[in-house]
Amino acid sequence: MADLGRAALVVTLGLVVYALVAGAVAAITNRRRLAASARNALFCAFGSTAVASAVLAVALVRHDFTFQYVAAHTNRTLSTPYALSAFWGGQEGSLLLWLLVLTGYGALAVALNRSLLRDLIVWVVPVIGGIATFFAFMLVAVASPFTTQTATVDGAGLTPSLQNPYMVAHPPMLYLGYVGLAIPFAFAAGAMLSGRTDERWIVATRRWTLAAWAFLGFGQLLGAHWAYVEVGWGGYYAWDPVENAALMPWLAATAFLHSVMIQERKGMLKVWNMVLVALAFELSVFGTFLTRSGVVNSIHSFSKSPIGAWFLAFVVISSLFSLALIMWRLPLLKARTKLESPLSREAAFLYNNLLLVALCLTVLWGVLFPIVTQVVKGETRTIGRPYYDFFLRSFGLPLLLLMGIGPLIAWRKTSLRTLGRTMLWPGLVALACGVLLVVAGAGSSRPGLIAYTFSAFVLATIVLELVRGTRATGSLVALVARNRRRYGGYVVHAAVVLLAIGIAGSSAYASSAESRLTPGQSVSLAGYTLTLRGVERRSVPNAIETRAVLDVKGPWSGTLSSGDNQYLHPPEPSREIGLKTNWATAEDLYVIADSANPKTQVVFVKVLVKPLVNLIWIAGIVFLLGSAIALWPDAREQRRLATRLALLRA
Amino acid sequence: MSTRSPARLVVALGVAAVLSIFLLYTAVAGHSTPTLTPSQLGHHTGKLAVVGVVVAPVRGDSHAASGLRFGLRNIDGKSGVVRVVYHGENPPPLFKVGRNVVVSGNYQHGRLAGDNVVTKCPSKYTASKQS
Repeated sequence: MADLGRAALVVTLGLVVYALVAGAVAAITNRRRLAASARNALFCAFGSTAVASAVLAVALVRHDFTFQYVAAHTNRTLSTPYALSAFWGGQEGSLLLWLLVLTGYGALAVALNRSLLRDLIVWVVPVIGGIATFFAFMLVAVASPFTTQTATVDGAGLTPSLQNPYMVAHPPMLYLGYVGLAIPFAFAAGAMLSGRTDERWIVATRRWTLAAWAFLGFGQLLGAHWAYVEVGWGGYYAWDPVENAALMPWLAATAFLHSVMIQERKGMLKVWNMVLVALAFELSVFGTFLTRSGVVNSIHSFSKSPIGAWFLAFVVISSLFSLALIMWRLPLLKARTKLESPLSREAAFLYNNLLLVALCLTVLWGVLFPIVTQVVKGETRTIGRPYYDFFLRSFGLPLLLLMGIGPLIAWRKTSLRTLGRTMLWPGLVALACGVLLVVAGAGSSRPGLIAYTFSAFVLATIVLELVRGTRATGSLVALVARNRRRYGGYVVHAAVVLLAIGIAGSSAYASSAESRLTPGQSVSLAGYTLTLRGVERRSVPNAIETRAVLDVKGPWSGTLSSGDNQYLHPPEPSREIGLKTNWATAEDLYVIADSANPKTQVVFVKVLVKPLVNLIWIAGIVFLLGSAIALWPDAREQRRLATRLALLRA
Repeated sequence: MSTRSPARLVVALGVAAVLSIFLLYTAVAGHSTPTLTPSQLGHHTGKLAVVGVVVAPVRGDSHAASGLRFGLRNIDGKSGVVRVVYHGENPPPLFKVGRNVVVSGNYQHGRLAGDNVVTKCPSKYTASKQS
């Protein structure tokens, strides 16, 4: 079995090296049959990687402990879904997943575009081949998942808190996002190498970028919800380098998705788009370097390993390659038109891009700061939550406002008077919302109040656009079907608004209380009174559960229990929270019981009331819906696309 | 068709440069905390964070006046032990002897008065040999 996996990976390495070398030679010498051969090698590489992946999957399901990887990441008590999830649980399996998704995405993207973009595809194949060569080499020479050993009786197992459905879905979602960004990057590089720097590469990869971005965004929300319900510290995002590693490429991809619209429509921002797509891809690989190298301290327990240096080398080489290409092709990347007015939709997109990139670079600076201070001052210094929160407010709030202004502002140019007239109704709604919030006592947090007011403005804008459009077409469904990209985008904007309200509510207006309780004693918070009934301990299969049981009275009455589980195999503890969601207000009552002692019946209880926090998770569903609308095949768009491509080819 | 790409690029680079300076200033001037290993503590005093591995004995209770008391050593083992007295919420459940942690607090007279403990979160499957 392991031999088959190893052999399949060696074959993959050979095939992707061939796709790289033969593809490049074919593109330079304009040899069509050699180009077709390189393309077929890429298709076959997906097949051989799939064979290697199947071998590992079967070994995981069969608990084949002759595989070191299987023994290190699973044990016999794991159910099949969790045993399979160990595929992406360790370093070697993660790399194999990278390669599988990359060759799969690459083969599909090349197959779908080979007739429409023949002159560009000949260069896309060697670029994807080059990226795949790196991962295939790592799997063959540095970190093979097929290293064998004498079979052990059982494996090391899976940390209990990871035996959670969120953890089955969260990592592969992120990988689908990270790797997906390689496709627009490869097409951008292909466009520059072939000298075809018109809009075709953007049009061809729009859905690939959108899908990668959606996976990355939704994957992060899944991880945040897992942290919230499973890790039990009361929060969902810690600005940790590993979390930031996923956020940074998502921010760059968000900027890219917006700026390509300007290039498509006005032929502007060509250099900027090349920079953004390269930045998004490099940051996705850089994230892997961060998580695997151990160069920065993270609360995530990724092991330090030598593959970090390889990834750093890959990031440096591919960044230099991208920069060199952009510099080489600068004359071809000149804008067709100019920005006519700072008051125009193009300008609004540009401001949006600057803010998104500024936020992305700010996060990057925070991540790199410990390394920089170590090099410059000889002492590692870290930046905490206040830094990130400050810049999230500084860049995030204007971004929120721009999300409302953008759809209202005209292309090319507009006047302040026209803009004022267009913004009248959304502005009044926002103002009314702000006044109501102040009257309702929500003025205690200025950033929270601003976030809510801006959110009302954006939502009013979206409703206004939908009402106007529906009046014109006669039906909301017809309106959305007519321009799925635009209205899918509005749904995503609505998701971002829900996210902003959820984050503002659960951080700016959250309250907490802590108390040492014995049976009969109470702690009160935000109208709730929690009275300790007692501390219980019981044995369940594979764990000893200790729970503080609390009677709750207030806006909701009932019983909550919280404490810890001490698992027997592997011998790990996990914190178990008490959680009651009020779906009418999207508020959570969140209880953490510490040191619950069944002998003394003493427990330390922390209670948190987090208003509107559930809007964050609802935002995830709305985000998926909007992404699906924007991604859905659109016959009208295909016809427009075919016409445009024909014009560009001419 | 006229273009203004170079001008915009300059503006963008200018904004980026100003932003970088601002970031550099804010980051160096405030909000940053020295994060040291036990062997690097040396003459340092005041607010800082220590990265290390928990060493026995672990005694007391973080909620009690005497606090939770434990030691920290370099993760590679090449250092002396720094004594920590931690007050506050219970440390995370994964806190135990042998675990890598980051303790923030005030370091005076060779002792760290901790007010926050972060253990490594098992965001990936951890083999027992690593824990």
